[in-house]
Amino acid sequence: MNKDGLFYFSKSHEWIGKDSNSNKYRIGISDFAQSELGDVVYVFLPESGKTYRKDEKIGEIESVKSVSEIYSPADIKIISINSNLNDTPELINHDPFGAGYIAEVEPLNPADLNILMDDNSYRIFIVSHHE
Amino acid sequence: MRERCGNIIMDNAEAKKTPLYGEHIKMGAKIVSFAGFFMPLYYKSIIEEHLNVRSNSGIFDISHMGEITIKGKDASSFLDYVFTADVSKIGRGEIVYSLILNEKGGIIDDVTVFKFSESEYMSVVNAANTQKDFSWLHHMQGEFQKKGKDVSVENISDSVGLLSVQGPKSRDLIYPLISEAVKIGKCGLFDFSFEPKQIRDLKHFEFSCANFKGNGIEALISRSGYTGEFGFEIFVPADKTAALWNFLLKNYNLSNLLPVGLGARDTLRFEAALPLYGHELDETINPYDAGLEKYLSESKDFVGKESLKHVKNKEKRLIFFKLSGKQIPRHSQRILDENLKPIGCIASGTYSPSNKFPIGSAYISDAGVNPSFLKNFFIDIRGNFEKAEVVSPPFHKKR
Repeated sequence: MNKDGLFYFSKSHEWIGKDSNSNKYRIGISDFAQSELGDVVYVFLPESGKTYRKDEKIGEIESVKSVSEIYSPADIKIISINSNLNDTPELINHDPFGAGYIAEVEPLNPADLNILMDDNSYRIFIVSHHE
Repeated sequence: MRERCGNIIMDNAEAKKTPLYGEHIKMGAKIVSFAGFFMPLYYKSIIEEHLNVRSNSGIFDISHMGEITIKGKDASSFLDYVFTADVSKIGRGEIVYSLILNEKGGIIDDVTVFKFSESEYMSVVNAANTQKDFSWLHHMQGEFQKKGKDVSVENISDSVGLLSVQGPKSRDLIYPLISEAVKIGKCGLFDFSFEPKQIRDLKHFEFSCANFKGNGIEALISRSGYTGEFGFEIFVPADKTAALWNFLLKNYNLSNLLPVGLGARDTLRFEAALPLYGHELDETINPYDAGLEKYLSESKDFVGKESLKHVKNKEKRLIFFKLSGKQIPRHSQRILDENLKPIGCIASGTYSPSNKFPIGSAYISDAGVNPSFLKNFFIDIRGNFEKAEVVSPPFHKKR
C-alpha cells in the first residue's frame, strides 16, 4: 500500500493524514485493520458537518464475519464523507489509505495529532500487540 | 475500531491444531479459534473463496470434525435406538443424515452415519459436539451392555484427517487423480468388508475407497458436503493429511482449485439453508421447530420420541429472509413485526456472496404466525430497524 505524506495512527487502528493532492486532512482505517476484518461489505459513515471528539464512535464497518466500530482518531469536524463507500465498500480492502478513505476532515487542534503514533511507532505497536 | 460481535463462535480455551495447521500458517491464512481448534477463517477473501466454490472448486480442511465408530453384533439396533433416522436400513457404502436427541426431544447433535456392515458404522459429528456426543454414546453403550448387548463406541477423531473438495468442477480434480481399481479390505484407516463402488459411480451420500495416483495414499471418499454443490469428503490418516492436501493443491489447475476457510464454509452452507449446530440447532430446539421432522423415523422407537409426541404443536418456527438494506443481521438479534413487537430471534445471519445482499434465518417464537403474513418485519440491528422479507431457501442457484 502506497501512501505519501505524514499519517498518524490511533491505537484503535484509524489513521488521519494530509492528502498530498488536495492538501486536506482525511481519515480512514489502517491496512492492518482492513486485513483483520476481511471483505468489507457495508460502511456506516459519519455525518457531514458534525464534530466528533477523539475516540468517539463515528461509524461502523461490517465485514462478512464481523462488525467493528470506527472511532475518531482526533477531535475533528467532518467536511465531507467518501460516498463511494456506499456502493463499493471493498475500496477499504483495496486501498485503505487512498480511495478507501472514510471522510475528509478538519482537525480542531492540529497540534494534537502529535500524540498519535507515526508510521514507525504504529508498525511496532501492531507487532507488539498482535503477533 | 473494536470488534463487537462475530458470527463464528469464538472460544479462548486451549485450542487444538488439525494436521494441516502448519500448512494454513504457510499459506498466510487468517486463523481463528473455532470449536476448540485453530482453524483458517479465510486465506485471501471469504467472498472470493465462496464464489470459486460455486463456479469452480474449493478444498477445505474440516479435520476438526469428529468421527465416532460404533461396532458390535448389536450396533444396528443401538444406532436405530440412539439416532432418529432409519440408520440400519441403509446399504453398505451408504450414508444417512440423522439427529441425536436427548430424552426431552432436544437436539444433541446433527450427524451423518456411514454403514460398513450390519456390525460396523461410523458417525461424523460436529467438532463442537464431539466430546458431548461421545459421552452420550458411551453412556448409551453402557445401558446396552447392561442388557447383554454387544456394542462398543470409539472416538477416533484424532487419528482422522478430513478434507472436503466442493464445487461443480471438483470431479475434474478427483477423477484423474485416483486409480480405477477398487478392492475389498483395508483402505487407509478403514476396513471394507464389501466391494466398494467405482468413485465415478458414487451417488450423493455413498462412499468408497480412493487410491491416489503417485503417492499411494488410500482414503475413504464420500460424495457429500456442506455447500449445496457437488463434492467429496475424504477421510485420510492424520499423518498423511498434509501430503494429500498439498498433492491436491499442486493439481489446482485441473479444477481452478482454491483453499477455502471456515468463513466461506459458513456462507456456503447458509445459502444452501443447511443447519449449523449452535445457530439453527441446540438442545432447546426440537426437530419440529427446526423443520427436520423428516429425519424422525416413524417405524421404530428412538430416544426422545416419546417426549416429541407432546410437542407436536410447534413452539417455534424457523424462517428464512433477505434484507433490502445493507446491514448484516447477526446471531441473537431480535426480529420485530410491523408494529415493532418482538416476535423472535436471529439464528444465522450473513452476507450472501452469490446474491450480494444480506440474508438470515430466525426462530419465530409463536409458531402460529403464518410466514406468508410476515410481509413486513424488521431486524433490530443495533438499534436500526432494517426491513426484511420472508423467502424460501436455498439462496443459491441449484445446478
